[in-house]
Amino acid sequence: MKKFDLIGKDMKRVDTASKATGEALFSGDLILPRMLVGKVLRSPYPHARIISIDTSKAEKLPGVKAVITAKDMSGDKWGVFKYTQDQQFLPTEKVRYVGEEVAAVAAVDEDTALEALSLIDVQYEPLPAVFTVDDALAPNAPLIHDVYPSNINIHVKIDVGDVEKGFSESFLVREDTFTAPEDSYFQGEPYAVAAQFDNAGNLEIWMPNAGPHLKAKPLSNVLKIPLNKVRVRKITIGGAFGGRSEIAPADVICAFLARKAKRPVKIIYTREENTVATRQAHAMVTTIKTGVDKEGHVVARDITCRMDGGAYSSTGPIAVSVPFLCMEQAYRMENIRYNGYRILTNKPIRGMFRTHGRAFACGVDTQLDMLGAELGIDPLTMRLRNARQTGDYTPTKSFVASCGMTETIIRTGEQSGWKEKFGKLPPFHGIGIGTNSVQTGFPMGIRGGSQAFIKLNEDGGITVITGIVDNGQGNDNMIVQIAAEELGISPDDVQLISADTEVTPSDPGSYSMCETFIGGNAVRLAAQDVKMKLFKIAAGEFGVGEDELTARDRKIFVTSNPEKSMNIAKAVRIALSRNESISGEGSYWPNVDAKREWVKNPYGQLSETFSFGTVIVEVKVDPETGQVEVIEAWAAQDVGYALNPKVIEGQFEGGFAMGGQGGMLSEFHQWHEGRVLNPTHLGYMVPLAIDMPKINNIIVETIDPNGPYGAKEAGMSVAMSAAQAYSGAISNAIGVYLKDFPLTPDIILKAIEGKGKREQ
Amino acid sequence: MKKIKGYSITLTVNNENYDLTAEPNRTLLEVLRDDLHLTGTKESCGEGACGSCTVLVDDQPVRSCLTLAVAVEGRHITTIEGLSQGGALHPVQDAFVAHHAIQCGFCSPGMILTAYALLKENPSPTEEEIRRAISGNVCRCTGYAKIVEAIKSLADQGRQER
Amino acid sequence: MRLPPFQYLEPENITEALSMMDTYKDTVKIIAGGTEVINHMKHRLLSPAFVMNIAKLGDLGGISVLDHEIVLGASTTLKEIANSPVIKEKCKAIAEAAFQVASPTIAAMGTIGGNILQNTRCMTYNQSEIVLTGLDSCHKRGGTICLAVKGSTRCFSVYQGDMAPALIAFDAQCILRKSGATRTIPIIDLFTGNGVQPFSIGSDEILTGIIIPKQDGTSGSAYKKLRIRGSIDFPLVSAASVIWVGADGKITSSRMVIGAAGPAPRMVEEASLAIQGQLPGEIDLEALAGMAYGLTEGADNLAMPGAYRRKMARVLLKRAVQEALEDVKRGI
Ligand SMILES: Cc1cc2nc3c(=O)[nH]c(=O)nc-3n(C[C@H](O)[C@H](O)[C@H](O)COP(=O)(O)OP(=O)(O)OC[C@H]3O[C@@H](n4cnc5c(N)ncnc54)[C@H](O)[C@@H]3O)c2cc1C
Ligand code: FES
Ligand code: FES
Repeated sequence: MKKFDLIGKDMKRVDTASKATGEALFSGDLILPRMLVGKVLRSPYPHARIISIDTSKAEKLPGVKAVITAKDMSGDKWGVFKYTQDQQFLPTEKVRYVGEEVAAVAAVDEDTALEALSLIDVQYEPLPAVFTVDDALAPNAPLIHDVYPSNINIHVKIDVGDVEKGFSESFLVREDTFTAPEDSYFQGEPYAVAAQFDNAGNLEIWMPNAGPHLKAKPLSNVLKIPLNKVRVRKITIGGAFGGRSEIAPADVICAFLARKAKRPVKIIYTREENTVATRQAHAMVTTIKTGVDKEGHVVARDITCRMDGGAYSSTGPIAVSVPFLCMEQAYRMENIRYNGYRILTNKPIRGMFRTHGRAFACGVDTQLDMLGAELGIDPLTMRLRNARQTGDYTPTKSFVASCGMTETIIRTGEQSGWKEKFGKLPPFHGIGIGTNSVQTGFPMGIRGGSQAFIKLNEDGGITVITGIVDNGQGNDNMIVQIAAEELGISPDDVQLISADTEVTPSDPGSYSMCETFIGGNAVRLAAQDVKMKLFKIAAGEFGVGEDELTARDRKIFVTSNPEKSMNIAKAVRIALSRNESISGEGSYWPNVDAKREWVKNPYGQLSETFSFGTVIVEVKVDPETGQVEVIEAWAAQDVGYALNPKVIEGQFEGGFAMGGQGGMLSEFHQWHEGRVLNPTHLGYMVPLAIDMPKINNIIVETIDPNGPYGAKEAGMSVAMSAAQAYSGAISNAIGVYLKDFPLTPDIILKAIEGKGKREQ
Repeated sequence: MKKIKGYSITLTVNNENYDLTAEPNRTLLEVLRDDLHLTGTKESCGEGACGSCTVLVDDQPVRSCLTLAVAVEGRHITTIEGLSQGGALHPVQDAFVAHHAIQCGFCSPGMILTAYALLKENPSPTEEEIRRAISGNVCRCTGYAKIVEAIKSLADQGRQER
Repeated sequence: MRLPPFQYLEPENITEALSMMDTYKDTVKIIAGGTEVINHMKHRLLSPAFVMNIAKLGDLGGISVLDHEIVLGASTTLKEIANSPVIKEKCKAIAEAAFQVASPTIAAMGTIGGNILQNTRCMTYNQSEIVLTGLDSCHKRGGTICLAVKGSTRCFSVYQGDMAPALIAFDAQCILRKSGATRTIPIIDLFTGNGVQPFSIGSDEILTGIIIPKQDGTSGSAYKKLRIRGSIDFPLVSAASVIWVGADGKITSSRMVIGAAGPAPRMVEEASLAIQGQLPGEIDLEALAGMAYGLTEGADNLAMPGAYRRKMARVLLKRAVQEALEDVKRGI
């Protein structure tokens, strides 16, 4: 491979010094002149008709500057897709979950705003509510939306090959059902929005987002102002993890309050609000039937998954599809049927989540282990035999241009000492493996591509303008790294303007793992565009061909004779004096099948490339308490190419903590009649430093043919496979396969006791 | 004897004195952020369970969301803004940046101050002691590995210096 | 989350504090480390007219080692207790309990007095408004229903303090003062057993200190806590045990306590009786531990199911006794 100065190196991130000093501003930190405090009144009922809303008392309270209800809005329903337009930002007829927005106020301070909320009189007629998928599907269940018969919100149906024939030809067939309750994002930063209008009716708005353009369009629609008046501004973002991609009622409410009060308004959610009224992850029940041949190759599979979607569609079609797609990418399977349902209930809204689908992936993997056990084949070998390979097509017809799945399995296996350990560990001591794969983006209509501009200054510095957003994963650094590398300048020479809808061009957003692949490619192309313009000038000066030049150390020089050089600054000055444009432009449109649609046509190229990952963990289980101690972990991913290895490691470790340690041991929501009983950090147990095992990171590079420098994405396949490794290891330790996740100590203990009884 | 409703207090924050009027029901976190505009101190849970709001009171890490502003009059309060001096990063901040211990950065101010206090009390903590000391600080991004590495790098220095 | 309005009181000495208590009685709330009171006020579980800060009263802090007892000032922080060489040596279970409270930062703020007097907890009680509006009030919120156990006529909230079980195992007493009167009662008697009103402390009383009596003979002790995470986690159930042996190596007395058992810690008196006079090696640990099971209430109102917590009371007690016995053996 070509030598790089910055790419592939452990580069200090450009954004973290200001985060270390507290200077970095998050949305909730903004203080604008005459700013008001916004607060939201929420539904106390899981399902109720709104009879009347009387805001007169609240409006009269001194210090209250605006009160809004559905009457202030058009009543239009919004949705990510045309066929999922079912949510009003403030509902007119019904509330559908406890915590749904009903009205909002803006006041001079928080106490006044809270008092004003208490003065709003809402009359409700409570309606029967449903809190589980089974209740929602029951014959006489109340309908949450008229447009979704039987409360079935989404049905994704995929059928490839001949599943029945496959089963009849299988050597061994199993059917099992796996379940998991809801889990949550718990981003560091609770949701916050600040908004202000200027005299000309331009909106400026700041909020944590996974794509500013994804926020701007619906804001433009609902506020009925053109897109160029909606300025979603760049701001430091405290995590997204798959959420924060869609417009949120808080965004719209804040903008309406600011417009009505004619003053800036800021809404900061409490942790409870962030949990209850943004998004949660789906609860799910997955039934998987798999047939294998004698060697353990999967011959046929039939999966039915029912997800509890909560009260509205959100990213429903994507959420129903992704766990299946990850599995079909990870493993070869020819005859496959999938029926994915998203069922509505009177609970908070569920969206896409970084480690979405633990009752899905863990089900598929647990069952693979079970089948292997019956055949006398160990889990690692089962995965090797079924692993996706470069050059394959997935069942839904995506071409896999590069695939390091096998290598991730082999290397984690070697480093963990799998062969010496599996089946040979002492009682209650186990080892387990999980594998998974994620997409780097998916068809997103006109939002599928990314564009970037680069402007040069006469001192040789540049400004990069791109829509790429950084949620904390280090995208800003990735942009700077690529631009600086291409132009042979220092990261200090790069000024970044990003994620601002007033100036930065369209971009898909960060939530589909595509920022490096799509956005990074666009930035690289823009830098190359600039470079070619600079080279043209230098080539003329030196009397050589453009292809004989190199840009490095802020200079352009003749590759074979580095003495012949000029500063980039000089080339810029020459261009300026000649009135030649040296701004650069780049755009990247991934090779995906635009006709592919989640529900109507789930076939065709889904994403241009895919990442693949394997995690192995070794655990000890306390046979008396069911508590799990994780001894060590090994995490590998085919990242394509590691642009910044430390950043990749950080993604592995963070994903492992969320998906594995949290997702499989301690994170789940508890409920009382549709109310979340553990909405805060005290009850919802995200892992702490003291809980985490040693993680060995293994970066696998396959150099994707189309990724920037061969890169794909930085760690989602680790995040998505960690839970499977945990469940495999625990099952291995106790000698019982577990099907209800997460594996909290009570569940593990019950399994141990059950086994003891059976053996007696 | 003091018996007060909304009274003047003087807070010493980052070696500067601020004269303020604060209702007794204001937390230190609110006063730092809303009155002094020291927004480096973050609120993630508001109930003592996450550590984002950690500040130092007389060099001890304290949850500012559970502390009444009136109760810390006369004590030395250090926020993240007060750690770096003369434009240079404090060694703890520097280690966090160098070791990629910061991703989204929301937990970082509280985490850095907690690490600072640990190293002040115990310049060469073991990995176990580090993990325990920061066990009340939630980081959702990093999985803590790089944070522990960053603090360990300073602990190793502490060990060498002795 | 905003705190409700209140007036702030900062007495300069204990006499002044006692007179304020006398004046304001039910309308004043004491704040020590504040780690519980502030949260409860934010959740509007408390809205006192007056808040009296006792953290700065010099007379309430510190650990004093006297001839026949160790006295802990009520404002001694849990960190001081966990780190105290005397406590670690003489009353290991107490140091272990303090070491495991919340996280180090909270243990540095939280006081022993506040820890003992922390309210009972329940998933349907310790909640913010969002979660509970629209539901009828439960017993503990002044209503007549129980949200955790359908149809229950009483409150099932659970006392999840870590310190009380360990202190009770050491037969610790607490000193309660009010204007003109002082009383000293065993800590176990502070508890009413009623989840709605868990403590018998008077509205004009201040807990000023805790007395841990010294006892003759060799002793061993241990505190075991079950939690899901290694930090920031209240006990799901806990067990403390202290065992004394005489010169002949036989057990002269013992105390075992189960925490997070219900609205009050529970003493496993039957077990103490059972092992009296036995040699440490003779004890049937399983039988002994079984006695903890029935003492633990199994309502499903904490992070783990009640049935599981009851079972774990047994395991934890066994382990606490086992470790205490090992300490004893080492001491002989
Ligand atoms: C995130 C978090 C985790 C926690 N985890 C645990 C845990 O694992 N184990 C555990 O045991 N506790 C835990 N706690 C609860 C509690 O905060 C601590 O136990 C702490 O020790 C309480 O002490 P404090 O001084 O802060 O109490 P405060 O909040 O000041 O007071 C608590 C109660 O005691 C009363 N009080 C205090 N001192 C006196 C006195 N001298 N006389 C009369 N009344 C008095 C107060 O009026 C109040 O009712 C946790 C708290 C938080 C926020
Ligand atoms: S905000 Fe204070 S501890 Fe979480
Ligand atoms: S870096 Fe995001 S929470 Fe720690």
